[in-house]
Amino acid sequence: MLRNIYIKEMKDSFRDRRTLLLTVLLPIIMMTGLVLFYENMVSDGADETFQLAVNESFSTTEEALFSGIKNVELVKSPNPETTLEEGDAQAALILSPDFIEKVQKGEDASATLIGDSFSQKSSQVMTLVTTALGNYEFHVVSERLNGQGIPEKLVQPFTIVQKELTEENDGINLIAMLIPLILALAIGIGAGPSAADLFAGEKEKKTMEALLMTPVNRMTLLFAKWLTIASIGAITGMVTLIVVSLEINFLTENLKSAVSFGNNVYLIIGAAILVSIIYAMFVAALLMITSIMGKTIKESQSYSTPIMMIAMFPLMITTGIGINELSFEHFAIPIMNIFTILKELSFGIVNYQHLGIMIGSNLLCMIAAFIIGRIMFLKDKWVMN
Amino acid sequence: MIEIHEVTKKFQDKKVHVTALKHVSFQIKQGEVVGLLGENGAGKTTLLRTIATLLTPTDGTITVAGYDTLKNPDEVKKKIGVLFGGETGLYDRLTARENLEYFATLYGLSKHETKVRIDDLAKMFGMRDYLNRKVAGFSKGMRQKVAIARTLIHNPDIILFDEPTTGLDITSSNVFRQLVHQLKRDGKTIIFSSHIMEEVTMLCDTVAMMHKGELVHHGALEALYSEEDNRDLNYIFMSKLVRGNQDYAS
Repeated sequence: MLRNIYIKEMKDSFRDRRTLLLTVLLPIIMMTGLVLFYENMVSDGADETFQLAVNESFSTTEEALFSGIKNVELVKSPNPETTLEEGDAQAALILSPDFIEKVQKGEDASATLIGDSFSQKSSQVMTLVTTALGNYEFHVVSERLNGQGIPEKLVQPFTIVQKELTEENDGINLIAMLIPLILALAIGIGAGPSAADLFAGEKEKKTMEALLMTPVNRMTLLFAKWLTIASIGAITGMVTLIVVSLEINFLTENLKSAVSFGNNVYLIIGAAILVSIIYAMFVAALLMITSIMGKTIKESQSYSTPIMMIAMFPLMITTGIGINELSFEHFAIPIMNIFTILKELSFGIVNYQHLGIMIGSNLLCMIAAFIIGRIMFLKDKWVMN
Repeated sequence: MIEIHEVTKKFQDKKVHVTALKHVSFQIKQGEVVGLLGENGAGKTTLLRTIATLLTPTDGTITVAGYDTLKNPDEVKKKIGVLFGGETGLYDRLTARENLEYFATLYGLSKHETKVRIDDLAKMFGMRDYLNRKVAGFSKGMRQKVAIARTLIHNPDIILFDEPTTGLDITSSNVFRQLVHQLKRDGKTIIFSSHIMEEVTMLCDTVAMMHKGELVHHGALEALYSEEDNRDLNYIFMSKLVRGNQDYAS
């Protein structure tokens, strides 16, 4: 009986254009947009040329300061600040008159750098210019010290070497943020319409009464409907993972180079699929309750929307936490744990203890949600309008 | 066949307290066609839903074909077919045949039984031309026929219709009336609620009149005419309501 109801519900759901749109088309569009956006973010700008507005009186000696930076083009202008404001340059540099000469003579000289720190391109130009000016400053100080027979080490007693904990580049951190976010959203969005249709929709269309008039156990009906919602969510999750993998492989360079799972590749893919299925089951249980609560599809959707929004919050919490700082609670709190476990997997780490905590906590919450759903589904108040 | 004994149904939550049925008692014999009359909110639908096991009585008992609706709801469901008014309660994205097959499965019919039954019902209602079309594009009359076929898919002994001809055109209403005659000839027990007195006069053996959750009259239609010395059911119904209101006020 369960199988028959499940097959009918799946057939009915997939004949709904909204389900098809949200399970297949939307993930593809969302994935493409986000993958390309992140690829652009992770790009170091090496292939891009930036414009730096400088005064018309900028001398060749001053130009030589930036000769080492190949992707910065100098735009001479009577008013560099205006050029920047008009968008013809990403930053403007205003040097005091006879800048080099004054520096050489040890007189007062200033360099004013104007830009927009919130703009990625402007920040990049400003960093490059600051580095070039910093190098020149160090060169001038060294020359002066040498002239007076003082060793450089007097002003630079030690050097700082900064090393990353992992050998991974920035790309993998972005992937560790991107995939869980997309997956959490896609599963919720994909399963939403079916969930609303299967309980609230049946009440609205009065098919629920006809269904309850049959001698089929209500628990069987509830389980078959939950299984349908979970399946659609899981299918959306699979489509999402496949699309994102293909797009990273074929459409990106930086993100692609960031991913290297070595010999663990199949294990990590398997674990990611398992995590998606568990998350889809958990979300299905929550959506089931919101759908039972709603008398109409619209009402049910107004209950489920806040739940889908909650899925965004863990991103803000987990983004600032390093992979070595993740602790028990990060893996034990449902919804948050899909972000943390996928973050680990993105870094090529398969920790069975963490996987077990994630699966166990989701199953426990799912059982609790299922019990609440069952109690509600047995009451006249919730099954009939 | 159906024994309703002192049935009371209360709906209550934090804000609302409504007694939809008040100590309702009457019996329905096998093969009888009963017309359930009453204003909107009189308790007709609640009574039908309670007989159908969709609602549990707050007090009292209902026995259907020897089975208590509270103790043996599944046995009762096998004996009953229900069609509630307003919406036809069909899955729009499935074909008429798929709708019927699904409910046949839920009632435990085998594949062969299902096929035979669908063929019979399609012939009875003239649905063969659109049996394999999706319900979404159907007219109200076509939907009503498929809904009635779904109600009868498991060949129940007792059929409950809640305002079945509401919103139907004359042709579809006549099809329904012919169906009731056919079912009556087959020995089925039928209860249907209606606001159309002509329909009740034409189809029913007995009538049960309800007012504000109470049963104000139950008996054979002919006996009612003699008792009231009038054959206008509409007039009788209205005078019963007026008397019911006076009793209620006192």
